[in-house]
Amino acid sequence: MLSPYDRLAIPLTATPAEVKAAYHAKLREFPAHLHPEEFKEVRAAYETIRKGGASADDFFFLVRPLDAKLDPSAVEALRQRAIAQLQVSWEEMIRETF
Amino acid sequence: MGRTVGIDLGTTNSEVAIVENGQARVLPGEEGDLILPSCVGFSDTGKLLVGRDALRQYAAAPDRTVRSIKRWMGTDHKTTLRIDSASDETREYLPHEISAMILRALKQRAETALGEEVTQAVITVPAYFTDAQRQATKTAGEIAGLEVLQIINEPTAAALTYDLRSDETEQVLVYDLGGGTFDVSVVEITGEVTEVLASHGNNQLGGDDFDRRLQLHLAERFRQAHGIDVPEDAVTQARLLRAAEQVKITLSTHGFAPVREAFLGSKGNTALHLEAEISRSDFEELLRPLLEETLEAIDRALADAELDPEDLDRIILVGGSTRIPLVQQMVEEHLDQAPVDGVQPDLCVALGAALQAGVLAGEEVESILVDVIPHSLGISAAVSTPMGIMPGFFSVIIPRNSVVPVSRSEIYSTMSDRQTAVEIEIFQGENEIAEENVPLGSYKVEGLPPGAAGSIQIEVHFDFDINGILTVTTTEKGKGQQGTLVVNHGGIERLSSHELKQARADLDALFQDGLFQPDETLLSSAASDVEDDSIDVETSETIPIAPELVALLTRARQALDTLEGEQVEELQDLLDDIAEAIADSETELIANLQEELADFLYYATTQDS
Repeated sequence: MLSPYDRLAIPLTATPAEVKAAYHAKLREFPAHLHPEEFKEVRAAYETIRKGGASADDFFFLVRPLDAKLDPSAVEALRQRAIAQLQVSWEEMIRETF
Repeated sequence: MGRTVGIDLGTTNSEVAIVENGQARVLPGEEGDLILPSCVGFSDTGKLLVGRDALRQYAAAPDRTVRSIKRWMGTDHKTTLRIDSASDETREYLPHEISAMILRALKQRAETALGEEVTQAVITVPAYFTDAQRQATKTAGEIAGLEVLQIINEPTAAALTYDLRSDETEQVLVYDLGGGTFDVSVVEITGEVTEVLASHGNNQLGGDDFDRRLQLHLAERFRQAHGIDVPEDAVTQARLLRAAEQVKITLSTHGFAPVREAFLGSKGNTALHLEAEISRSDFEELLRPLLEETLEAIDRALADAELDPEDLDRIILVGGSTRIPLVQQMVEEHLDQAPVDGVQPDLCVALGAALQAGVLAGEEVESILVDVIPHSLGISAAVSTPMGIMPGFFSVIIPRNSVVPVSRSEIYSTMSDRQTAVEIEIFQGENEIAEENVPLGSYKVEGLPPGAAGSIQIEVHFDFDINGILTVTTTEKGKGQQGTLVVNHGGIERLSSHELKQARADLDALFQDGLFQPDETLLSSAASDVEDDSIDVETSETIPIAPELVALLTRARQALDTLEGEQVEELQDLLDDIAEAIADSETELIANLQEELADFLYYATTQDS
């Protein structure tokens, strides 16, 4: 059984627009009257991704693609947050020590 | 192999269309008319009439004519038709048998227009039609000699013809108010992909209901004017209904509509006429409560599609009843957006059906359709409530507005210790109480292994295919024992191949000796039949006169001998007018006068008794 992302042949990082475009491409490939089973799978995959909102989190344990692209701004935000946390804990440590 | 067409089988009107070189077009009848009225009847002489000719005789001969049969589809309602005027012989028809006659006439029309055999069709139904109604439509198509490739929803078909497509996704609301049914669909259109997000509707609401209300209103006006009720008989009521329909149409473009129906009733020896003027606001008052319901349906469809009114990019109106200004106004006010022209309101459903027919027949048609199931499907099950376990609840397995085809499963457990059998009852609908929904069928799963209550698990699997056929499979999880039921429909039974053959043969016979196009008698023969001095027929020998008119003229001549006083004069005047119209070859006028003559004769001859 393919994961919804694999069924639509898109990366976990796909934007909603990319998800829809991939879904439409699959509809073209598997029209309901010719390929009902594939159609149902494509549809189920699309619904899971779209409704889930949980999206990628649900597939945390799936093997991630090696070429996953990192969004630099997201990485930066994460770094900032980590540093802030670190700084806070330094301050607290100092307070606790004295 | 024959051609594949798309058919809009409407309550009031029907059309047949085809795709050629990627373009859909509606196929005309021999006189170039694109629309075939969904009306069936038997002529004076027992010939089958379909379309305009049947509609024309409706007011004069309601006992030989039937219209709006679509409202009865999926039921076993029998229509009794007198098959000719001389004898009292009647025949009973089921709704799908009448529909088969209309479909057969459309098939014939398409074959004449194309010069080729037509063997397959996509037929449209209202989105909110139930399973039984869809199945009846399919059966009608089969009786008419068509392989029904797919039954598709009318608003969806309309959306397929929407030609303002771009690669940008648009959310479009299709509001389809026809002669007998109402649908609203929320559709997402991206390039050639047309995806229905939600449909809702009412399969018993349409222009017919507006006519009916107006008919009652006219009867009330008559009563106020003359102090007596309009006679209850079928002919008078049919005339009143026809008048109501005309008023409705006039009021779409005018503020007032005059009504003049002569000889509608009588008091002693005086003939009573209905003369009234109906204003648009009178009509709107009658109609508003019915339209309020359609607005509620819009809200539900939007809610199911998880959209707000402001998310809609466009609103499209489909169906003849959307010509009523109040409809446009109420939809616009409700959604705070004006409807646009993106489709042809009368023809788009047939054109969309033709596009889908093209897709299925493998033509080069750039169109991808994703449609939904309008009603929830599920089974009757027990649920635990604060008052203990209560049976008879509706457990939904496939929720409404799921994309078709679709497969879903639910797991249920036994209710009591050592329970060996379970009854699977399948329903369609939205009510929490199973029995309040439409039953689709039931079967028993027997020989379950003994076990404590709740220990035996049964998986119920619903598979709903693109043709609307539901297959239910149950599997006992422990032993893996299976049962399967293919659910056809709740109402009429699907025809066996023998019955289908018989029904087809019957229809063939009707079309062969019935000649649904009335074969027209030349005037010269009419002259010899009618031998009446007042009708001077010498001037034109080539105008055909319908046999119905010949029969009427014969009756009129007999009536001249039995009637007295003013009535003789009135009849004589009418006959003179007819003779003149025939002489001048004014076919329209002849038809009108023919109707008037029929009304007069009916009135004059029933008044005596």
